[in-house]
Amino acid sequence: MKHFMTSTAAAAFAMVANSAFAETEITWWHAMGGALGETVNAIAEDFNASQDDYKITPVFKGTYEEALTAGIAAFRAGEQPNILQVFDAGAATVIGAKGATVPVQDLLTDNGVAFDINDYISGVRYFYADADDKMIGMPFNSSSPIMYYNVQAFEKAGVEPPKTWEEFQTVTAPALKDAGYTALTQSHLPWIFTENFMSRHDLPFATNNNGYEGAEGTEILVNNDAIKAHFTAVTEWQDAGYFEWFGTGWGDNATPFEEGKVGMWLGSSGSFGGLSKKDLPFDFSATYLPYWEAVTAEPKQTFIGGASLFAMSGHDAEDNKATAAFFEFLTQPETQYFWHQETGYVPITEAAYEMAKADGHYDRAPAAEVGIKQLSLPAGDNTKGYRMGFYVQIRDVMNREYGRILTGETSVEDAFATIEKEANALLAKFAKTQS
Amino acid sequence: MTDLTQTQAPTLPVRKFRIRWSDIGDHAVLILGSLFMLVPLLIVLQTTTTTDVETIKNGPGLVIGDQFGANFDKAMFEASGFSGENTGMSMLKNSLILGLGFALGKIAIGMMAAYALVYFRLRFATFAFWLIFTTLLLPLEVRILPSYEIAQKLGLLNTYSGLIVPLIASATATFFFRQFFRSVPEELVEAARIDGAGPVKFFIDILVPLSQTMIAAMFIIMFVFGWNQYLWPTMITTEEHMYTLVRGIKQITQDLEGTNIPEYGRANMLALIAILPPVLVVIFFQSWFVKGLTESDK
Amino acid sequence: MKRAGFTTRWLPILLLLPQLIIIAIFFYWPAAHAVQSSFYLQDPFGFGSTFVGVDNYKDLAGSGEYMKIARFTLVFTTLVTFFSLALALLLAVKADKVLRGARSYRTLLMWVYAVAPPVAGFIGLIMFDQSWGPLTELARSMGWDFKLGVNFNDTAVAMVIVSVWKQVPVNFIFFLSGLQSIPKAVREAALIDNRSATGRFWQVTFPLLAPTGFFLLIINITYALFDTFGIVDTLVKGEPGNNPMTLVYKVYVDGFRGNDLGGSSAQSVVLMVLVLALTIFQFRLVERRIHYT
Repeated sequence: MKHFMTSTAAAAFAMVANSAFAETEITWWHAMGGALGETVNAIAEDFNASQDDYKITPVFKGTYEEALTAGIAAFRAGEQPNILQVFDAGAATVIGAKGATVPVQDLLTDNGVAFDINDYISGVRYFYADADDKMIGMPFNSSSPIMYYNVQAFEKAGVEPPKTWEEFQTVTAPALKDAGYTALTQSHLPWIFTENFMSRHDLPFATNNNGYEGAEGTEILVNNDAIKAHFTAVTEWQDAGYFEWFGTGWGDNATPFEEGKVGMWLGSSGSFGGLSKKDLPFDFSATYLPYWEAVTAEPKQTFIGGASLFAMSGHDAEDNKATAAFFEFLTQPETQYFWHQETGYVPITEAAYEMAKADGHYDRAPAAEVGIKQLSLPAGDNTKGYRMGFYVQIRDVMNREYGRILTGETSVEDAFATIEKEANALLAKFAKTQS
Repeated sequence: MTDLTQTQAPTLPVRKFRIRWSDIGDHAVLILGSLFMLVPLLIVLQTTTTTDVETIKNGPGLVIGDQFGANFDKAMFEASGFSGENTGMSMLKNSLILGLGFALGKIAIGMMAAYALVYFRLRFATFAFWLIFTTLLLPLEVRILPSYEIAQKLGLLNTYSGLIVPLIASATATFFFRQFFRSVPEELVEAARIDGAGPVKFFIDILVPLSQTMIAAMFIIMFVFGWNQYLWPTMITTEEHMYTLVRGIKQITQDLEGTNIPEYGRANMLALIAILPPVLVVIFFQSWFVKGLTESDK
Repeated sequence: MKRAGFTTRWLPILLLLPQLIIIAIFFYWPAAHAVQSSFYLQDPFGFGSTFVGVDNYKDLAGSGEYMKIARFTLVFTTLVTFFSLALALLLAVKADKVLRGARSYRTLLMWVYAVAPPVAGFIGLIMFDQSWGPLTELARSMGWDFKLGVNFNDTAVAMVIVSVWKQVPVNFIFFLSGLQSIPKAVREAALIDNRSATGRFWQVTFPLLAPTGFFLLIINITYALFDTFGIVDTLVKGEPGNNPMTLVYKVYVDGFRGNDLGGSSAQSVVLMVLVLALTIFQFRLVERRIHYT
């Protein structure tokens, strides 16, 4: 009832205030719950207040998976929102469905908004782009896996945060263990130890240029010696008491770190905001994701995680103009800096990054810069992203097999053979849905 | 009284002793069973009286804290998410609408259909019977995706009709009422016809009053069933102001996974609020409910 | 149809119409739709759709993982059915015997009937919390390093315990009412014939309860197959990983989370056939039971 009255009042007010011309209203479906949702709301309100022509309404649609499914179902019923937030694992589904979205690059240029892909920081440029480097989705909440560490734990152990996994297993982990800590936990094995393992070491993740050239014939390249050696090492760390795994859930693996029992935790650069607010019983800082010196001497940038915004097709020119205007607002340095500060997600443009630097944000919180710096490391042939269909299910397969490795139910060798087989079956199936 | 037992006691000493031992055994089993059912609830209740920090650090304990009121306020009146619409109150309202709407709708539709099947000569009665009773075979879970798509096509997402009506598409109530009507003495219809009562009059004046207990029992079972629905509300409601308490549980567990301090006090309080109404209904109307449950399947 | 009843033509049709319309739209249409899409592979957005014949079914038959889930579902169903029936029978027999506090026991043992499965799962999450769950601590004190969400078997144990907890009350209610409907004369006769309580139970009471037991067997199997969805979903926190799941949860994971419409439709059809077989069995049983009573 209250809701009804306020919206009626708002509508009445809008009619009076804008009696001269009608506003174009657009909707934005997203998956940002809790504090993130409040920040989304603030951005929308700022946009609505910044001009009189357009009005955006953000709608929370649940988890990433739920938001994607809701968006797809709505599209099939012809009731799609103007903007849909789609997460990294859903990128192939939505980009593969040509005609479901208006490429963001076209949308902006058609509506007279200047667009230069080089304005964006290098790590986010091509993740949601097509094979011809045309940007299809607008990166929004971009994050990267980074390594958080407990400063006091490292002081007590008398070691520095490791740069490489070799250093970790020979120096850091034993010292942390002697100091009474579990050395390492992490919160997302497919994202951190698979996808970003590939980009950090510049290894190909799939055929067809990591899947960018189309679903037809794309095969996963996950069954390789480097990653198998990595997981073998992880099981050895586990046996030695350096590494502990608390299940597939994100929070279950973060909690022991937050309780001060764990020396280092691999999480998202977007976790920074939450950790800062938590009043942890120790000082924390962050640094780059370690790499294997044995695999590469020149570690590369990582993939972005998080999600991007897609302009759904099927709306009239006026609506699309409003969407373009919102995207323009969203990429303003001020908006990006606000989002970056509040949440810990990285700013997606160079200009916003410069603004944060100039404002002294990283002097106050050096750890907040790690994500963007890591995304701005040198790029390699295989670091622009990956594009695989039914990837949500592929991740489920990985989670399952990795869980089995870490509980001793399967061997590393068998697990990767299974992942390869099942993932390729899913990819072949996806290719068939696309014809 | 005491005198009586004292004088009688010596006559049957052995037998009395044996009965008491087995009595104690019976009670012990029942008490253990009751504790098995009850203790989890008490533990959840305990966590609603302490602070979240306390729960996160030590888990449930034996201390009764003073946070019950504060947690209740948070659960009932503080919105989660940003829409400001997703409070315990709003979820409670939606759960009530779902429970009541489902129970009433199912009973009304079921009674009407059962009446038609039992009391009328219909040419396609057998066909209609099979058409209706096949729905008993397949639970909603196995046809959930197409059902969702159809609800979407009909524009029923995030509406109360979309929440309730598709759940009614199974014939449990119809089946129960059909069984019940068939047990109603045949002479009643004869008498009614002799009195010149038409089918509508017979239904309203005779059959409905006769079915009161059955209706009450059905109502309780269906209310609980509707209130406890999870998968369908999870799919059909994506807007926060439409969430039910049980669907809200999903949101609660997601919040506990989030980056902020998990609000156990609030989450557990919401779980209690989700449990309480159907449990009270079952406890207070126990005899009707037991009768309805056990007789309806015959 | 035994009644001569009324002969009005339009009224019964009118009375049946709401029911028929609802089941046509929300039962037959979706069911047909599921069968149809199980023969296709579809682009989630509805752009492309390829007829693949029975490929989706072949994929299921050839998937070791699907078979594993089917096997788990079988074991899970057996365990849940057995333990909730056995426990409920024990409690019902005792509750039928005691005089003092019978009503209180009945209430205490049946209220959980009204708890929704996901809420039961949520309570399970608290009881089995990795760092401070009371049952986790209990297990650890007995030397069992219980880890919900990490170890497949531990999660399975939690799923079974929570599912049994939730299902005991229904069985209890049925068994108790079955016991109470045994005529007094039969009981008294048994008391004379058989002096041992255990012997009496197995020779007299148990056979008399058998029809109720058979009926409950079907109810419990259906419960374990479908209604435990909320328990499974809550206990794995929506991310199954290496944890066990049931067949119906797999339909949801692949279809709703993974957007594989063809594959999950085929799984739906498999479940339909399964339930169909089960229900035919049930109908025959119920019919026979009606003859008994």
